[in-house]
Amino acid sequence: MTRTTLTIAALALGLGFTVHAGAAQPADPHAAHRPTPAPPQVAAARELPRPPDKLPGWLTNTKKNHIFYKRGKYNFDVYNIGPLARDLNAVAVGHALAYEDLVTGKAAGLETKTFDRINRVLKNPPKFMPDEAAISPTFVRRYGVLEQVFDWTHILHAQTVDVLASSQLTEAEKDREIERLWNYYFESVPYAVTPLPLNMDHLYSLAYSQKFRNTYPKVNGLFWGYHWLQGAMYDMLYRASPEDQKAAYAVLGEQYRKTELYRTDRPFMPMFGEVSPVFAARFPHIANAFDNLHMLHDMVNDILATEWMTRKQKEEQIKLAVWMVSAAAHRGEKPGQESADRLHDHRHFVGMPGMGMMKGMTPELMWMPEMGWMSMADCHHCSMPLWEGADAWRNPTVTADGWSMRVRCPLCARDMAVETKGRALLRIPTEDPNRVVVVISDEQGNLRTSTPGVVFLENEGSHAGCDEWSRAFTSQAAFDAYVKAHPSLTKAKALTFDEWAQREGAKPDTYTKPKGPVENPYQPHGEHGNGK
Amino acid sequence: MKNVVNRRLFLGGALAALIGVAGPALRPALAHEAKCPVCKLDVVQDTDKLDNEVALKFGRKRIEYRCVSCALQDAKSFNGDLTILAPSELKGKPALLARKDGKWSVTPETAVFVGQKVTHPSCQIGYRALTTKAAFDKWTAANPDLLKDAKPLSLAQMLEVANPAK
Repeated sequence: MTRTTLTIAALALGLGFTVHAGAAQPADPHAAHRPTPAPPQVAAARELPRPPDKLPGWLTNTKKNHIFYKRGKYNFDVYNIGPLARDLNAVAVGHALAYEDLVTGKAAGLETKTFDRINRVLKNPPKFMPDEAAISPTFVRRYGVLEQVFDWTHILHAQTVDVLASSQLTEAEKDREIERLWNYYFESVPYAVTPLPLNMDHLYSLAYSQKFRNTYPKVNGLFWGYHWLQGAMYDMLYRASPEDQKAAYAVLGEQYRKTELYRTDRPFMPMFGEVSPVFAARFPHIANAFDNLHMLHDMVNDILATEWMTRKQKEEQIKLAVWMVSAAAHRGEKPGQESADRLHDHRHFVGMPGMGMMKGMTPELMWMPEMGWMSMADCHHCSMPLWEGADAWRNPTVTADGWSMRVRCPLCARDMAVETKGRALLRIPTEDPNRVVVVISDEQGNLRTSTPGVVFLENEGSHAGCDEWSRAFTSQAAFDAYVKAHPSLTKAKALTFDEWAQREGAKPDTYTKPKGPVENPYQPHGEHGNGK
Repeated sequence: MKNVVNRRLFLGGALAALIGVAGPALRPALAHEAKCPVCKLDVVQDTDKLDNEVALKFGRKRIEYRCVSCALQDAKSFNGDLTILAPSELKGKPALLARKDGKWSVTPETAVFVGQKVTHPSCQIGYRALTTKAAFDKWTAANPDLLKDAKPLSLAQMLEVANPAK
C-alpha cells in the first residue's frame, strides 16, 4: 500500500470520527485525575523465574575482564558540552552509592541518608568520571559479572555520546563510527546486551518486580531520572552543531536537574524511543540495548530490595536477569517476532523499531503519561503518517516537559511547542540530511535559532499535504529549487525565520485522537498485559 | 513490516466501511486534543453549540485546560501577564480573565462563575464562566444534580475557590 493511499485513508478517517483502537471505554473516568499509583504487585508473587538447565560459563566468571574504550579521536569529546559531561559523571556516582548501600545493610537509610548523599553529588557534579568499582567495592565483588555488563554497556553509552559531541567528525562519519562502536561492543565480549526489543511488561511483572520503586520511590526516581538523561541527550546531540548542542543542553539540563531527577510519579522507566525517537528509529539496535540495560538495572534493584529472598536466591536471580537481557539468550531471534514465551517476544511499536512492548499496549498504540495514547507512526499534532524508513530523518521533533515527539512538518513542530507549557526544543530537518535547524522556545513561546540564512516554506492547506507545503531550507537557493520542482507551489514566498516564528497555523484538519482499550494501562484496573 | 501493512490495510478497510455506513453523520474531529496539564484528564472539546476548551494565553503560548478552575490554579506557575479564555454559555464568546501586573479583571464585567465542588470528570460543568446572572440561573437549572447548591461567584471568589488560602 502506498504512502498516498495511507494518507487518503487517514485523512478520510479524520473527517469523520475518532479512531477507537480498543472497544472498551475507560472503566473509571476518575482514573486519570488521580496520581498514577504504583503498579499493583503481581499476585502469587513468590514464584521466582527459573534458570535454564545450562547457563554459559561467563555468567560465573570471577575475573575482572576490564575492557577500555575503543580508540578514537573523539574520545571524551562529551567535555565539549561541560555541563552534560559533569551531570553524567554524577550519574555514575549516584548509581554506585545506592548499590553499595543496598548490599551493605544500609537499605533502611536509602530514602534519607543515601538520597541526601547522592543529591549532594548531583548538585555538585565531579569534573571527571569516577571509577564506580571504587565507590561500590562490595557490590562489585559480589556481583562481578553484572558489574561488567553495566560497565561495558556504559562504555558504549559514553563513546556514542563522545562521537555525537565531536566537532571534528562529519555527520556521515559519526553514523559510521557509531556502527563501528556497536560492533566493537557486540563482538568483543560474550556478555553484550541484546539489541532486540524485549517485552518490558514481562520483565517488569516478575515475582520481585516493582519492589524497589514501591519501597524507595525517591531513589528510584533518581535512577529513572538518570535514565531519562541518558536517553534524551541523544536526539539533542544528533545532527546538531556544537553551538546548538550547548544551547540545547542549557534547556535540557535544567529540565533534568529541576524536574526529571525528582519525579516519583512515573509508572515505568523512561524508554529511549520516548525521549530520543529520531536516534531510536535510526539506530534501533542501540536504543533497544540501552532500554534493556536500564531494565536490567530495575530488575537488579528489585531483587536487591526484596526481603523475602535469601542471599543465594538473590545471586541466582541476578545471574538469571543478566541472562534474560543478554544477546546470548536471544541468539537467532529477530526484531518484530512474536512468541508465546514472553521472554522471546520481540515485537516493537509500528514506526518505532527501537522500542519493545510495554504494559497494556499493542504495536499500533503506545501510551505515555501526560500524552495518552498515540501511534508512533503518526504525527502527534496532525495524525498524518510520519516519514519512515530511509526518509525518517525528515521528521522534525519537539522536546518539552520531559517528552520528545516526532511530527511531520515544521508547522506541526512550531504549533505543538506553542501548545505546550514551558521551554521547548525543536529539531527541524532541512533539505540536507546533515543539517538540522535547532530552535529554542522560551517560556512565552518566543522562538530563536542560531542557524543563519534558514528560510521556510509555509503554504498552509490541509495537513494531508503538510509534508510538502511546510518545509525548512538552508538557503534561498534551496527553497527556489524545491518550489521549481513543485509547480503547485510556484506562488509560495520564502519566509525568514522571524516571519515563520510569528505565524500560527490553524488547528490541523486531519487530527484524530487515538483511543486505547483503557484510560491508563498502569492503573490497577488496566490489568491487560500487552495483548497476551 | 508485516505490522505496517496490516495497519494500513486496517485503516483502509475501516475507512471504506465507515464512510459507507456512517461517515456523513459523524462530526469532523478538527481539534488537536491535549490532556489538561493540571487534572490530566482529556480536555473536553468544543461542540457546534457549546465551547468547552479553556485556553490560557501567555505570550505566544496557548495552553488548554479542562476547566476554568484548572487554568486559574495553573496561572500561578506563570510569571507575568496572561489571559484566560473561559468558555461561557455563548458559543464563540468566552469570558476573558486577564491578569495584568498581578491584578485580575474579567470581561464582560457582568460575568459570574459557577464554582461548585465537583469531581473533575464533571469540572467543565461545575467550574464555568457565565456572562450574566441570568445565564448562571439557566446553567444551574440545566444541571440540577451537580449544581443544585451552586451560588454565583465573582471573579475574586472564583480565584479563592481555585486557589484556596491555606
